Parts: sequence; C-alpha cells; structure tokens
Amino acid sequence: MTSVELITIGIFQALLVLICAPLYSGLSRVLRAKMHNRRGPSIFQNYLDIAKLMKRQMVIAEQSSWIFKFTPYFSMAAMLLLAMMIPILIMRSPFGTIGDLIFVIYFFALSRFLFSLSGMDTGSTFGGIGGRRELLLSVLVEPVMMLSLFVMALLAKSTNLGVISTKISTGQIIYNPSVWLGMLAFGFATFVEMGKLPFDVGEAEQELQEGPLSEYSGHSLAVMKWGLYMKQMTLVALFLAVFFPYGSMSTLSFSGLASALLIFLLKLTFIYALMSVFENAMARVQFMKASTITWTALGAGILSFVFYLANV
Amino acid sequence: MISIQLFVVAILLFCIGALGSLLLNGHKQAARVYSGILGMVASAVGISAAACSFLRGTQVLILSSPLPFGPFSMKLDGLAAFMIGLISVMGFAASLYSISYLEKYEHRALGVMGFFTNMFLATMLLVVAVSNAFFFLIFWETMTLASYFLVTFETEKNESIHAGYVYMVVAHIGTFLIMVSFFVFYLNVGSFNFFAFSQAQLPSTLRSLIFILAFLGFGAKAGMVPLHIWMPSTYAAAPSHITGLMAGVMKKTAIYGILRICVDCLGLSMLWWALLVLLFGLASAVIGVIYALAEKDIKRMLAYSSVENVGLILMGIGTGMIGMAVNNQAVTLLGFLAALYHCLNHAFFKGLLFFAAGSVENQTNTRNLNEMGALSRNMPWTAITFFVGVLAVAAFPPMNGFISEWFLYQALFKAADSQIFPIRVLAPLSAILLAFTGTLVAMCFVKAYGSAFAGPSRTRESHQARESSASMVASMVFLAAGCLFLGLFSPAVSQGLVSVAASIRGVSALPVAAGMWIFPTTMIQALISPPLVLIIILGTLLMPPVIIYLYGGFKAGRRSVPDPWACGYGYSPEMSISANSFDQPVRSTFRSVYFLRTMLNKPLVKVTGWANRIKELALKRETFMEHGITDPIYHVVDYLGKRFQQLQMGDIRMYCLYIILTLAILLIVVFR
Repeated sequence: MTSVELITIGIFQALLVLICAPLYSGLSRVLRAKMHNRRGPSIFQNYLDIAKLMKRQMVIAEQSSWIFKFTPYFSMAAMLLLAMMIPILIMRSPFGTIGDLIFVIYFFALSRFLFSLSGMDTGSTFGGIGGRRELLLSVLVEPVMMLSLFVMALLAKSTNLGVISTKISTGQIIYNPSVWLGMLAFGFATFVEMGKLPFDVGEAEQELQEGPLSEYSGHSLAVMKWGLYMKQMTLVALFLAVFFPYGSMSTLSFSGLASALLIFLLKLTFIYALMSVFENAMARVQFMKASTITWTALGAGILSFVFYLANV
Repeated sequence: MISIQLFVVAILLFCIGALGSLLLNGHKQAARVYSGILGMVASAVGISAAACSFLRGTQVLILSSPLPFGPFSMKLDGLAAFMIGLISVMGFAASLYSISYLEKYEHRALGVMGFFTNMFLATMLLVVAVSNAFFFLIFWETMTLASYFLVTFETEKNESIHAGYVYMVVAHIGTFLIMVSFFVFYLNVGSFNFFAFSQAQLPSTLRSLIFILAFLGFGAKAGMVPLHIWMPSTYAAAPSHITGLMAGVMKKTAIYGILRICVDCLGLSMLWWALLVLLFGLASAVIGVIYALAEKDIKRMLAYSSVENVGLILMGIGTGMIGMAVNNQAVTLLGFLAALYHCLNHAFFKGLLFFAAGSVENQTNTRNLNEMGALSRNMPWTAITFFVGVLAVAAFPPMNGFISEWFLYQALFKAADSQIFPIRVLAPLSAILLAFTGTLVAMCFVKAYGSAFAGPSRTRESHQARESSASMVASMVFLAAGCLFLGLFSPAVSQGLVSVAASIRGVSALPVAAGMWIFPTTMIQALISPPLVLIIILGTLLMPPVIIYLYGGFKAGRRSVPDPWACGYGYSPEMSISANSFDQPVRSTFRSVYFLRTMLNKPLVKVTGWANRIKELALKRETFMEHGITDPIYHVVDYLGKRFQQLQMGDIRMYCLYIILTLAILLIVVFR
C-alpha cells in the first residue's frame, strides 16, 4: 500500500468520524428515550442543534483568555488527528508512522487537559468544578486503559495499533482469558471516558462532565459539542481496533472499503446500543465514590495482566 | 585538547566573575550586571567546550598535585560533556534571568550573591569533569556550601534559615555516604582515580556495599523519596534563579554521580540493584506528584514535581541497569537514553517553570496560588512560556517531556519481554504507574496554570501585576524555545544521546532515529514522528474554522460580557474554583498517601533533633571550658581576625573557604 493511499484512507476515516459522530450520539439519545417510554428527539437532532448554534451570536466573559477561545478548535482537531491514526477501516494505522498507542493515550489526555483548563479560564464555578471532575476521572481511568492496552501490546510485541489489529484478526493473538479481561477493563474505561452513567449524565450540563461547556455559546459551543461526540466515537473506534478488528480490510480495494465501512457502522451501532442499555440500567453514584467503582475495572485489568504472566 | 582548554577558560571566567562581583559589592547595580554578564559569557564558553568535546571525543587533562591523593585529573568523556553542556546552558539562562530578577534585591549584598552564583556554577562544572574521587568530593562539598549560602541569602527570614539548615543536614548525610563509598574503593584499589575504580576486582558483597552507599548518598542530593524532605522548603526559600539551577542542574550532578559510580565504575550490575533503583524511582514518581498536587505554594509544588521527575530519571537508570543485568543491549541503551533525555528536558522545563514562578512572585509578592489569577492578561510572556513549560512537564506530544517518557515506556516494554519473573512483573507495572503519574501531573498543572494565570484576579496585587523586564522574559523565551526544539528535533537529539548512553557502557550505539522518525531500536516495535505530529495537528486545526465558515458561523459575531454566568446571582471572584478546592477530590481519594507524608516527616524531625542535640552539647562543653581554654584562644583569634578583616572585608561567608581548607588538611593528616 502506497503512502498516498494510506493518507487518503486516513483522511476518509477522519471525515467519517466527523460526519457520523452526531448521528451515533443522536442514536443513543433516541434509545434512551425509548427505554424511558418517551418519544424522544429525532435521530438527526444533533445536526439540527449544531446548525442552529452555529448561527447564534457568541457571548464571552471578559476575563477569559486565549485558552477559552482555542480549546473548541483544538478538541475537534485532536479528534480528527486521532481518527486518522486509529485503524478503523483498515488493518493498519493509516497515519501509524506518526504515533503509537502511547501517543494516542497522551493525545486524549492533551485534549482533556485543555478542556478542563478552559473550564477554569472563565472563572465560572461550574467550569472549574467540571474540569476537576473530568481530571479526577482521568486519573482513575487512564491507568486502566494503559494497563489493558499494554497487555495487548505485550502480546503483539509492538505498541503500534496497526500491528495489534492485524495480529488479533489473523489469529496470532488468540482470545484467551487475558484478552477477554483486558477487553472488559478497557470497555469499562471507555464507557466512563465517554461521559456516561454512573458518573455523568450527558444532559445535566451545569454540573457534570459538560461543566466546562457552561460558558460556551454560539459556534464555539457547536464545535465543542461536536468535538465531544467525535471523542465518544473515537474511543469506541479505538476499542474496536484493539479488541475486535474483524471486518476491516487488509488490502485496499473499493469493495473492501465498502464492506469495511458497513461492518464498522454496524459494530458502532451495536456498541452504542449496548452502552445505552448499560447506561439506563445503572443508577448514578455519588461522584466521590467513583474510585470504589473504578477499582473494579483496575482489578479486571490487573487480572488480565496476571493471566498474561501465567501464559493462560 | 581544545575542549579542555575551553573548559578551563570557562572555569577561569566564572572565577573572574565571582571575584569581580565580590570586589564590586559596594556598587549594587554594577555587581548585579557584571556577575550576570560574566556568568553568561563563561556559560557560552562552557557550551562550546561541550560541543567541541562531542565532536572530538574524549579528552584528558592531568596536573600533578602536591596532595597525596593522586594527580588532579579531568576527563571530558561523552557523559561529562553532556553534563557540561547541560550545566552551561542552564547557567546561561540563569545568569541572563538574574540580571533583572535581582533588581528586587537591590538593597542587599549583590556582590556576594554574584560571587556564590558563579562559584556554584564553576564547581558544578568541575564536579562533572574531574576524574579523581578526592577532588570530586572537594568540589562536591564546595557546590553544597555555595548553594547553601544562596539558599540562606535572605538571612532575616526564618524560613530561609530553617530551610538552609535542613538542606545542610541532609546534604551532609549524603556526602558522608558518598565519602565512605569512595574510601571503601580506595582501601581496595589504592587509588582515587575513577578509572582505577572501574578496573577494580572486588568481591560482590563489597561491590553491593559501595553501590548502596553511593546510591543513597547521591539519591539524597537528587531528592528521591524518602530523602526528598529537604527539597520543598529549600526550593521555596531560595531566590528563583537559584532554585531553577538547583532543580534543573544541581540534582543532575547527583544523577551524574549515580551514573558514574554505580554504572560506570561498578560495571556489571546485579539484578537486585537494578530493581532497587527502579523501585526507588517509582516511589519518587508517584509520591512526588501526589504531594505536588496538594500544594498551594507554587514553588513547593514545583519542588515536589521535581521529586517526581527525579523518579522518572531513576526509572530510566533502573531500566538501563536491568538491561545490563540481563545483558540486553537495547534495553540498556533505551533506559539510559530515557534517563539522559529526561535530565535534559527536566532542566529546560523545570528551569523555565521556576523562572516563571519567580517572575510571578516578583509581581504579586506571594507564592500562594489562591492569591493569584488572571495573570495571563497582565503578564502575557510569562503566561505563554509557563504554558509551554506545563505542556512539556505534563508530557504532551509533541513536546520534549513526551519524547523522554515515550522512550521510558519503550524501554520498559522491551524489558518486559524477558524470562525473569520479577522483571516480567515489574516492568509493565512501572509503565502503568507512569501513566498514573502522567494523569496526576496533568491535573497538578491544570491547577497551577488555571489558578495563577486564568480565571479572575483574586487580589489587588495580581490585578496590578505587570510583565517582568526584558532579561527575565528573554531567558524564559530561550528556555521555552529549547523545550520546543528538544521535542520537534528529537530524532537528531535522541541519536546524539544514545551515543552518550553507549559511551557510559563502552558499547556501540544502536539506531533510534531516521529522518523525521524515532523508534526504540526496531521500527516494528513502535515508531513516532514528533515533527509530523505538529504538521498534521496544524493541518487539522484548519478544519474547525472552515466548518464554522461553511455554516456561516462567523457572521453572527461575538459579544463580551463582564462576568461569567452565576445562576443569575451577581458574580464575584470568590465563586471561581480555587487551588485549594481543585485538588480536593484527589486528596480525599488518596487519603492514605497523604497520611504517609506525616509519617515520613518524622525521621526528618528526628534527624534535625539529633543535630540540634549535638549542637547543644557542644554549646554546653563550650561554657564549661570557656574560661580555661576558649577565652585565650578567642582573644588571639579575635586579634588575628581583626587584622584579617582588612583583607577580606569581614564577610562571614568567607568561612566556606575555611571549611574546605580544613577538610583538605584533615584528609592529608589522616592519609599521610
């Protein structure tokens, strides 16, 4: 595969995530409404929201600085970059030569860093508290992500995402207990990172995950929200790339691309539906007790590591 | 020989700078500018000496000395040249910074300050250059003393005096351990030369003893847990350009000591040594950052963050030693590469952060993060350079901090692929704890930047703050540019550093970079390209504005409101989140670790208690014998002292010289 082809695929993936992210977020809104026995919004409601917000005037608190203005741009740009790197449609990381899984985790952290800093930047109470929550969750969850990914990397003997994808889909890494537990731990971490229950309710803007959003308005709010939808989708894509890459193409062809695209969208639908079920089956917990729950995920991650050590 | 000559010139220039500023002590303005400029010139010569040494290979200088400890010898090998370059670059930045920073100390003895600063830099350079253990100790001790006088420069502050005292006690415990390890070497080798040390055939128990002594001794100076107790108070008390030097460079001389003695001289490592270093590194990294997070004093926070960074460096050294123990060259080189790279990066970003903290402290007269806020409007240069430093310390790609941590991950990853069970367990777990540390560092610096530079101004001082003067800004911009350079040009830098790492072990270097890419000796394991990351992120950053434009979003315009939204109530700055409340969830989640801190403080209290008791005892004996012996001696000394005063302006700080002379004489007497 030539580098031109890889770059094309990478850009295609980025556009895919850009365009589809609001759709899938809308899907989970619809599913939740159905489970609540409500009629709920249209599945395309997020697109309409974005279009409306884009045309609204922006209101900015005077004491905010460039960080507040820059963060929306960056959070979207970062997700575009990550979408180019994660093997979504193909068994290789299209932009894999610029970074590996450690890079991906640290880049997620960078966008979160700016997100919480933008919350502090305006001096708004909700922004600061939202940023604080976001960072505490990352402290609890990011090591779990790193642990399960590291075990996969050890099995693949490489930290390159494309290599891990290829090895798992060609059966060089078999689904042993270590992989299953890693999948469980990483899935849980993804679930928390996506801003779902038990810690967050996406619609309670003022207090929870979206705290830093409270000061945004107009097109910066639109871009910020879009960036968050993209982040959810990118995380799911990362989960799929590492633990369930079947269906992606190994060599480039038009039919392969079409089927890979279809299969990827189906996988996404399944995961989002599953997450909605979990989300609605759970109660909210007090935030300060978050660590008691994330310990479970860490435990699964550590078990996965232990199974790896025991070569089970 | 040119590199040695340049090095000697640099040392002489530092001495001229030191003595000259002492002579100019009466003219504050002149002393301040003179010592700063001489420091810069000498550092520039030092940088060129390091560069020459890199180009021309190892150089040796031997001077016969009248002392019975062997000739005075210097050896500029790869490691020494690396350290000289590091010290000189930071010396340059600190001297530049000091020119306007010291304006606020105008009413003090700035000549003395210039003297000690230049001496401090010169002795640090000599410490890494000499290859004779005796002279190493002399310079090591002078370095400690010079820094002690700089820490206690503000003599009227109890805080400074206490910090200096604690520093002195811990530093001397460290020096004592190092001295013992050298004497064990000497007794078995019969020479003080490092080369002779490395040729020694010692039984393994003796080697282990030397290792433990030297590691703990240097570790105390480097500030690893649990010997870090002196750092927070010392760093908070010292003037900022000195703190920058102590954190950025002086700690690295201790790292140099560990590499020189424990790796170079002791040679083949045993596995348990390596695991010990790795574990100490892990403990320092995790505990350091958790404590950093709980601090609201910006300099104490940075000091704890230095503990964390020393932990990362030690983890690199430990991984390299694992490679030595299992005879895996790639792991060895990657581990030492990560350690050296992080030394370099930490010097740049921590120097930068301390300088920026000093700039803020100058303007707001406080180190308390709760009393700052909104400084990015009034101090844009300080804010933006601090931000660059934050990105680097939090290891965000493609900054320099990320590159060294990435190499550390890769070294651990490679080490994990081993048959030996402890390594298989410990290496991946270290990587996970590294990730954990990374998230806490990010939180810590969101808090620091957020409460100092963002948000509302919480006090009048922070509202009226102004940007610092040109030389401070220039110095911070220089270091920030260095951070960016070390990140974006990492392929070239890492290939250079891997050859330094290889020279420590006397093996040939493996490739870790090609073109724009860096990789951990094999491209299959991993591949990243920092410059490409920057290019692509700049490209993708164009997307959001294009999208907004397509939606017609820019037409709507924007409107400023004076305050953020506060649920319809009137907004006041107290409503914003403060540094105290920001870390509260972490403090409650990791309650047990903070309990440890109180526990760890107990030995400190005990040690200072012992030192005090010895002092009291001495005082008691003194009164007892006063009339018989002391008084007559006192009168003679007083008389001589008064004569002497005319020569040396009666400056009590000259006593550092006496102490060194006494040390030298005592050693001569003992070994004759």
